[in-house]
Amino acid sequence: MTIPGPAPSSDAPPRLEMLGIRKAFPGVVALDGVDLTLRPGEVHMLLGENGAGKSTLMKILSGAQRGDAGEIRMHGQPVEIASPRDALGLGIRVIYQELNLVPQMTVAENVYLGVAPRSFFGIVDQRRLRRETGQLLAALGMDLPPDAVVGSLSLAERQLVEIAKALAAPSATPEDVASVLVMDEPTSALTAKEVDQLFALIQRLAARGVAVVYITHRLDEVFRLGHRVTVLRDGRNVATCAIGEVTPATLVRLMADRDVGGHFPRERVAPGDELLRVEEVSRDGQLTDISFSLRAGEIVGIAGLLGAGRSELARVLAGADRHSSGRIIIGGAPVTLRSPADAIERGIGLLPEDRKAQGLVPDLTSAENIGLPHGRRLSRFGFIKRVREQQLADGIVRDLRVKTAPRQVVRLLSGGNQQKVVLGKWLAGDARIFIFDEPTRGVDVCAKIEIYHLMNRLTARGAGIIMISSELPELLGMSDRILVMHGGRIRAEMDARSATQAQVLSAALGLAS
Amino acid sequence: MTMVAPPAAGGMAGMAGAMRSGRARVSAARQFGTVMGLVALSAMLWALTPHFLTVSNLLNVAQQTSINAVVAAGMTYVIISGGIDLSVGSIVALSGVVLGVALQSGQALPVALALGASVGVACGMVNGALISWGGLPPFIVTLGMMSVARGAALLFTEGRPVSGFDPGFRSIATGTVFFIPAPILVMAGVYLAAHLVLSRTIFGRYVYAIGGNEEATRLSGVNVRFHKMMIYGVSGLMSAVAAVLLTARLNSAQPIAGMMYELDAIAATVIGGTSLMGGGGTLAGTLVGALIMGVLRNGLNLLGVSSFLQQIVIGAVIVGAVLIDTLLKRRRG
Repeated sequence: MTIPGPAPSSDAPPRLEMLGIRKAFPGVVALDGVDLTLRPGEVHMLLGENGAGKSTLMKILSGAQRGDAGEIRMHGQPVEIASPRDALGLGIRVIYQELNLVPQMTVAENVYLGVAPRSFFGIVDQRRLRRETGQLLAALGMDLPPDAVVGSLSLAERQLVEIAKALAAPSATPEDVASVLVMDEPTSALTAKEVDQLFALIQRLAARGVAVVYITHRLDEVFRLGHRVTVLRDGRNVATCAIGEVTPATLVRLMADRDVGGHFPRERVAPGDELLRVEEVSRDGQLTDISFSLRAGEIVGIAGLLGAGRSELARVLAGADRHSSGRIIIGGAPVTLRSPADAIERGIGLLPEDRKAQGLVPDLTSAENIGLPHGRRLSRFGFIKRVREQQLADGIVRDLRVKTAPRQVVRLLSGGNQQKVVLGKWLAGDARIFIFDEPTRGVDVCAKIEIYHLMNRLTARGAGIIMISSELPELLGMSDRILVMHGGRIRAEMDARSATQAQVLSAALGLAS
Repeated sequence: MTMVAPPAAGGMAGMAGAMRSGRARVSAARQFGTVMGLVALSAMLWALTPHFLTVSNLLNVAQQTSINAVVAAGMTYVIISGGIDLSVGSIVALSGVVLGVALQSGQALPVALALGASVGVACGMVNGALISWGGLPPFIVTLGMMSVARGAALLFTEGRPVSGFDPGFRSIATGTVFFIPAPILVMAGVYLAAHLVLSRTIFGRYVYAIGGNEEATRLSGVNVRFHKMMIYGVSGLMSAVAAVLLTARLNSAQPIAGMMYELDAIAATVIGGTSLMGGGGTLAGTLVGALIMGVLRNGLNLLGVSSFLQQIVIGAVIVGAVLIDTLLKRRRG
């Protein structure tokens, strides 16, 4: 657990002020007079539901978009930010969720992409490049070899490279380069240990006077890292508070403007028949002797660190990958899952970890995505029964409260709504075994709670859920039993009602319990 | 089931309305642009030369366009699915000589047509199978097929054209129905059928889905490999249909026919608004794209522009059309 660094003095003159920022898009006002003040050395958390205006506000700060009205001041002086170049010139650095690295190049080449030190004739000075990168990485406390090819690094390491890149300039220290650093949900793909590293780095930068804006959905991060928090809702300021003055429940209420009860509204039901039994399933190099069972009405949580084999297990059960030995028994009968189609036919539905890459076809509509696994049922002589498809999708959209227009493509939906469409694909069939791989990653608090309610509803109907999650509170709060994986094996099984975070974590780290 | 209270419904509905129907609207706007391009091009030629806007010349343009348009219909399937097919021109030649030899050896017309079509479909399915099960990039596989099919056509005919067919067969190119040349009717029929398949059938849906996100489609239980094979099969079939039109028009099946057809087909498809990234595009757009190519060629000929300069102009138009498209998308994005 990191503790927020010392809060900067509240009477220090503001580093940056955004005043009365307004931005309208056709049909929607994204920002309606938003204020944001940053003090040097503070970590300022920016919190809000999807669509609250956080990203738009930061796009205006970074020069990616222009506001319709409002004023931006640096060190008290009005400034004009008309392009990303202007923002860079003012020392504003933004690290977006999507990484912008060239995977074939080395760490050093990426860090100094475009600003590489050059010798005569404009040739990149490789030795100096490596030396300066080494110095920068050391100054940032990053343990990365400058010569490593970025493509070979883990996601977390790439995130660090991205940060180093934002702070790099020849012969300058990081705090000279960036006076304002904006990070947009940087931890969504990181493990707990990597998050700790990142947070330590952010705190070091803040301690040296950098003003950090940190956009997040996660309340625990707000309290671990922030000095102050600004909550946006529907493009307006709701509140700016010092962290010591608020509680998580208050923030949730501020974000949602409605009382949300307990965070994990699990309604446990008595388990019914066995839906799925996995017996000593192995897959070369990834999974070893996995055995467990899932009963109707149960949520079995699967804990583990990145690379523990959790998603690999999900893919085997969903028919996406083959297992090399062991048996899978569904409804009492052994089955062979040669393809996703086999798994779907047996009533297995996968909500993959990476919704955009694996769960949805972004340029198809909700109805078309929901109908995708059910082509045979929704067509006659090869022709799609459009009315039938639309009725099926309408029912799901209403049932799950997907916020979508009739012919809207799913690319334009928020994370929570996209997740519901993926779930809808399986609800439209007769799936009884659901695999949720990181179901609430990247969705806001309210959508999270809605997804938990949907899980309750599924189990109440007699479905069984396998829930893979990196969020321990979620696992403990929503599961009936928790299986902890490490190194491709199940290391422990616990009753979620009596297990503690420490127990789960130590098993996930491979320590004997 | 208790749910969290719905959010302010008005705001969401308003926003959803503004963003309504992303794919349909964007591609409608894009298609309007393509049509306007064709209209502007035609208006320019009408002003520049009196020979352009005559019934006989326009029919001539449509007839000349028909072969490229048919090939481009297959190319559209392939490109929407996220692939590319460089072998279409060679398949036109191979399918054409098989058809020609079959006719000359006294086979009945339907038998000869079936043989030519089978060869085209088979080549396409081999492409698709190698891409699907072999896991090879479409560019490489179809580049190989481009050479293999060309070689096979040359080998089969010992490099000589097969010429002289009976008038019944040639009427596919020369005949008219109510004053409309037969190739135009063939083209119209092909586009109608291909459009219905693409927009109304489950196969067509899979073409878009595979191009939009192959992995998600596979995880939805769709047999992606089989359907990719069929998509390239469709492209092969279209090459075979084009081979029929070409052979009938020239009264000769030539093993060196169809050179550079892949470029014209890709150009028509891309000018018509189909994304090279896959996942989006329409046959109506491709048809307009093919017409733009045809009108441009015809106009340059009428204006007496040298064929060397023509190549430069056409190349510039292709790149320019895609550039405009990209710039508009960036601004919208």
